[in-house]
Amino acid sequence: MTFTPDNSDPADLDALAGEYVLGTLNGQQRRALEQRLPHEPDLQAAVDRWEARLLPLNDLAPAQQPSERLWPRIERSLNALNVPASPTQASTGWWNLLPLWRGLTAAGLAATLALGVALWSVTPAISPPAYVVVLVAPQSQAPGWVIQANDREHIQLIPLGVAQVPGDKALEFWTKADDWAGPVSLGLVKPGQVLSLPLDRLPPLSPNQLFELTLEGPNGSTTGKPTGPIQFIGRAVKVI
Amino acid sequence: MTLPEPLFDYEACLLACARGEQQALVALYAQESARLLGVAKRIARDSALAEDIVHDAFIKIWMRAASFDPGRGSARGWIFSLTRHLALNCRRDTRLEIQVSESSELALQPLATLDGRHQMQDPLQWPDGCERIYGCLEQLDPARRSCIVHAYVDGYTHAEIANKLDTPLGTVKAWIKRSLSALRECMG
Repeated sequence: MTFTPDNSDPADLDALAGEYVLGTLNGQQRRALEQRLPHEPDLQAAVDRWEARLLPLNDLAPAQQPSERLWPRIERSLNALNVPASPTQASTGWWNLLPLWRGLTAAGLAATLALGVALWSVTPAISPPAYVVVLVAPQSQAPGWVIQANDREHIQLIPLGVAQVPGDKALEFWTKADDWAGPVSLGLVKPGQVLSLPLDRLPPLSPNQLFELTLEGPNGSTTGKPTGPIQFIGRAVKVI
Repeated sequence: MTLPEPLFDYEACLLACARGEQQALVALYAQESARLLGVAKRIARDSALAEDIVHDAFIKIWMRAASFDPGRGSARGWIFSLTRHLALNCRRDTRLEIQVSESSELALQPLATLDGRHQMQDPLQWPDGCERIYGCLEQLDPARRSCIVHAYVDGYTHAEIANKLDTPLGTVKAWIKRSLSALRECMG
């Protein structure tokens, strides 16, 4: 099967686009096609249609957690590209991005309504909201961890990079809602580790609830309250 | 685990990247890096190389976010396609490609038999969901379905599929061509 560069029969174009998206063209054919794309809207449109058709097949590849080195490496490359680095962008963090939140809110509302309708026959309860927390370093405001909660009783702590922790220290995870007397320990966290935590012993997540990671002794704080310096800190934002 | 896909606004995220808001890229990384790495790893077949690809993908997403055109497809699709094509280009360029001429096509067949009979079965479970592609794939003959899935997910070349399936290269090429045509008919 050969594809001549100038063929423009719609069926041939579509077949070529299909093989390109499927991945069965060789390197030379791929490069030739990619050079044509900007100049040939019909070919580009055929490629776009195939991308959309086959996209769900990506779900067949099992997800793989990146190493802790990957994000810092991406960040270094971005900085090397002479783009504004995250510390100077702290005032426009992604939690301040109106379009992002507007979209999330709309999507969240739609999802909540859909789920609410789906659950109507089972339980009259409306689907609880989702929360997001970005934990940033207090000095540089560089994000280090993200907390995501798809319900108010369960959270997930996801590292964005490798946190530097001295050998004789450990990171302890704390939370405090506005109306609590003091922070409550959620246990020790290993740098780079994804942590799934039930909040079954605590009141459900509330908006603005504080989360922080402090540097404590190897077995955690001995007083039951944070004693070491705060490494990362952030507050819960209700997605809807 | 990350936010369910409907809750993450990929398009707003790309718009924010286009405006130079790096936190949007951080959010995208938290949301999709594991799935993108999964896609790249499957094609690159090497963890370090897959991370190189995802690194390049995030740089490219950042640099080219402004060129994303919602009229051409979904933002999430754009992100996955960009990453997957980087992986495919990397594999097609770095490995010694089996140049398939008419003569090597014939030569490959005995190799496939020497290698033992690799009956490719459907090694993957369809995920739950109502994506139309799965219904359409179900309508294909299992061997042809395998061709499509292994080409897309594993980045196999025609020759590699022929080798694995112990089927002549010309047959595999024809199967794929007809399967794509059938999928297009089925999916519209």
